[in-house]
Amino acid sequence: MSEPDKHHKGFFHNLDLSAVLTLLGIIILFSTAIVVTLLAPRYVDPTWTAPSSAYQVQMYEVADPNFYISSATAGNPTLQFVYHLKNHYSLLLFHENEALRIVAPPELTQFITKYDEPTMKLTSNLMLLRKPEKNTHFDAIAAADTLRTDALNKWETAHPDWKEKKLVKPTIEILELYTPQGEDAFVVATTNGTIENWIDQNYKILDSSAQQDYHKDHGVIYIYNPQEYRVAHLQFNDTEGWTYDHNGEPIQSLQHLKSHPLGFHSRAELIAEGEHIYAIEGCWYCHTDQTRTLVQDVVANGSDSYPAPPSSANEYIYQKITFPGTRRIGPDLSRVGIKRPSRDWHRGHFWSPKTASQGSIMPAFRHFFDEDPRGTAKNLTGIPNYKFEAIFQYLMTKGTRITPPTQAWWLGKDPINTKAIIEGRGNVPE
Amino acid sequence: MENVKVVYEDRPVKLMLYPSILFMVFGMFVGVYMAFNTFLFPDYFSGEYVHFGRVRPVHVGSVTLLWLLSADVGLLYYFVPRLCGTPLWSPKLAYVAVTLWWSSFALGVLSYPWGTNFGWEYAELPTWLGMIPIKFITTIAWALTALNIMMTIATRKYEKMYVSLWYVMGTLVWTTFTYITGSYGVNWVPEGISRVNVSFFYIHNLVGLIFTPMGLASAYYFLPKLANTPIYSHRLSMIGFWAIAFVYAWIGAHHIMHGPMSQWLQTTAVVFSIWLFIPVWTVVYNLFATLKGHWAEYIQSAPIRFLMMGNIFYLITCIQGPLMALRNINEITSKTDWVIGHSHISLYGAFTFFAIAGIYQAIPVITKKPLWSNRLADWHFNLNLIGSVPFILALWLGGFWQGVLWATWANGTSYAEFHNNLTLLSFLDTIAQMHYFWVFRAIGGVIILFANILFAINIFNTIVLKPVPTEDKQLEKVKVTL
Repeated sequence: MSEPDKHHKGFFHNLDLSAVLTLLGIIILFSTAIVVTLLAPRYVDPTWTAPSSAYQVQMYEVADPNFYISSATAGNPTLQFVYHLKNHYSLLLFHENEALRIVAPPELTQFITKYDEPTMKLTSNLMLLRKPEKNTHFDAIAAADTLRTDALNKWETAHPDWKEKKLVKPTIEILELYTPQGEDAFVVATTNGTIENWIDQNYKILDSSAQQDYHKDHGVIYIYNPQEYRVAHLQFNDTEGWTYDHNGEPIQSLQHLKSHPLGFHSRAELIAEGEHIYAIEGCWYCHTDQTRTLVQDVVANGSDSYPAPPSSANEYIYQKITFPGTRRIGPDLSRVGIKRPSRDWHRGHFWSPKTASQGSIMPAFRHFFDEDPRGTAKNLTGIPNYKFEAIFQYLMTKGTRITPPTQAWWLGKDPINTKAIIEGRGNVPE
Repeated sequence: MENVKVVYEDRPVKLMLYPSILFMVFGMFVGVYMAFNTFLFPDYFSGEYVHFGRVRPVHVGSVTLLWLLSADVGLLYYFVPRLCGTPLWSPKLAYVAVTLWWSSFALGVLSYPWGTNFGWEYAELPTWLGMIPIKFITTIAWALTALNIMMTIATRKYEKMYVSLWYVMGTLVWTTFTYITGSYGVNWVPEGISRVNVSFFYIHNLVGLIFTPMGLASAYYFLPKLANTPIYSHRLSMIGFWAIAFVYAWIGAHHIMHGPMSQWLQTTAVVFSIWLFIPVWTVVYNLFATLKGHWAEYIQSAPIRFLMMGNIFYLITCIQGPLMALRNINEITSKTDWVIGHSHISLYGAFTFFAIAGIYQAIPVITKKPLWSNRLADWHFNLNLIGSVPFILALWLGGFWQGVLWATWANGTSYAEFHNNLTLLSFLDTIAQMHYFWVFRAIGGVIILFANILFAINIFNTIVLKPVPTEDKQLEKVKVTL
């Protein structure tokens, strides 16, 4: 062995040619692989970053951050849903139906979509419905009475023999359309907390120009017949709580809605929290989140009549962490929002998986519930807390947001020709 | 070669190896706990902090990071100076690195049950644990370790570099890059499948570019040492090295075959996965050819048995790996227990066996005492081998059966009939059929755990109980001929 040259003690002088070449070779080979496999794909394949549909974008960016969920009182499983409307942002529809008529001062009547009118008239001007009130500008009570009398007369004319047939006169609710103070409002509207109204044909937006980019999409998410959300506080012995009451106090601000005792979380926050729970509870060690391009996957996740579409890259673009999974000792979850949309089913299942699914090896997640240690709660299962709602909301995003609810997501999306394979017993026709 | 008397500083080796052995036993205990509490008696111990999802990363983190990676780093501290003919560049730096290493990795891994899981596989370490930046400290600890070893190589006395040093230099570059990519880089790319791609790149290269080169570096160093014979072919080992450098970084996408990943990327991963046969066969042949004519040593020495069995397991795992990337085989094996079997045979069967062989060779040298009990070492090997058979076979056969069940899940001539049949044989039925395989897996796990408790006892007694021999016997025979 030759001693290194005494005059060259530096790092590079001691690295002989073979070592330098080793390092250079490693770095060159490695960086080529990095460029091709890690950096290039998202520029080559647009589905890695482009959304799957306008509905997906609007659900995540418009609907979720402005939809709030809370349980009415501590220890009560009833959920409260509140939309946060913003002027020139949220799209609203005021639509009459068989049991509902709307009165409005003359300048607002154009925003009402009459019963049987074919085109839905949407607006982003902030307006709400309420029980008719009388003010200096417009006497809604009188207008409502007139409208009710007219409607009932019409009904009597349409059913001349209503007395003989012992028909009951219909109850017609009449609401007043009005413009509230301020730039935003907190409202209730019909919802189950997971699915939003979507319209992509026979509608027009009555704004003079498009107020938001999403208003220009070929379909929009809208709020149906919103009414102001008000609460009444209640005190029963040492139980403090509140409940929805349209004669109660209005919500002052977003801060008020989110802080104690109301304690609302936006659905966006809950989905993010659900993703975090999915990570820390290790759900992804047993469940996959991908419908593979294999017959067994698309059929297992499909409906009675159609295979599910295999997962595509753009389904995941709104997730901070994605859990495609490497193993299934629990079923795949990529279409769980379609297959198991019931909050009650998930409540029972998280409380006791072995009871809900015979033979399941899934652990019970009782920390998603506020248990009553003395066992005196009226609920057979515990009362779900925000962790349950978070994981539930997260799961409900799976498979439900690929295409708008008006377009059947399986149609024309069977790239592996599932039906042909099954019916041809393995022979895929051209 | 032994004309220069060098005093090697072995305290960093001890500081890495001793705790790692304890963590191996701990990690295997957690594994056995799960084999019972998740699979045989599901959710018997129930609750937020003890259920499968929270405990599994503790098992994986303990055996990969706290045991295998730490032990491998300890062995680097041991054999790199000896191959360079120079003491470790800076023992003080090593103490700093070791302190940061254990405090950050152990805290991070043990915190998972309290909900600190980062959410990416093998990269579960939390970014923050309260006020402690766990992930940052682990990175610093690795960087200091890498710097120390790199400088040791740079200041070496022996001009020519043995193949182990090539692998070590490779792993110093790759680990740094791979670890940073998997722990931080995953957040630097767009959300969704880009991150999945980075994650799978990390997952595969943690095994392929960290554990493989570290393990092979150890094997190439320790087999000639233990058997007292030169390596069969230095050139063949070089071919293996460059094939690994060429191939591994390309194949991350084979973890998501048939999944929502671009088809061309999947195909690229398949092609490069098949290339993996080259480095594997060079290693396996080289190690076997080295022992040719010295098989008596195999009978006499438990560490050599560990090394050669590890070599056989390495061969098996590396035949499986490329084949599992093929689309049709992947359809059956993917997402089943087969995958768990595959990961165990590589990290437990191959690289843990290599590391154990290395520890058996290193312990007498660094403690300057002979091993406490060679018989116990024999039992350690025998029980490990006996335990690994029901353990790994159960996972393979069970996993394969599960995959076949899914692939032939239902039958029918129309979609509706097919779907109906599939609904009748529910997913849970395919899980129920795994039960007896899981029984054998648990039995194997218990045997393996017991075997490695014996190992820990043996090493402990060597370190503590036996008095230092007065005579400085020549325990270290340098026989690495270049």
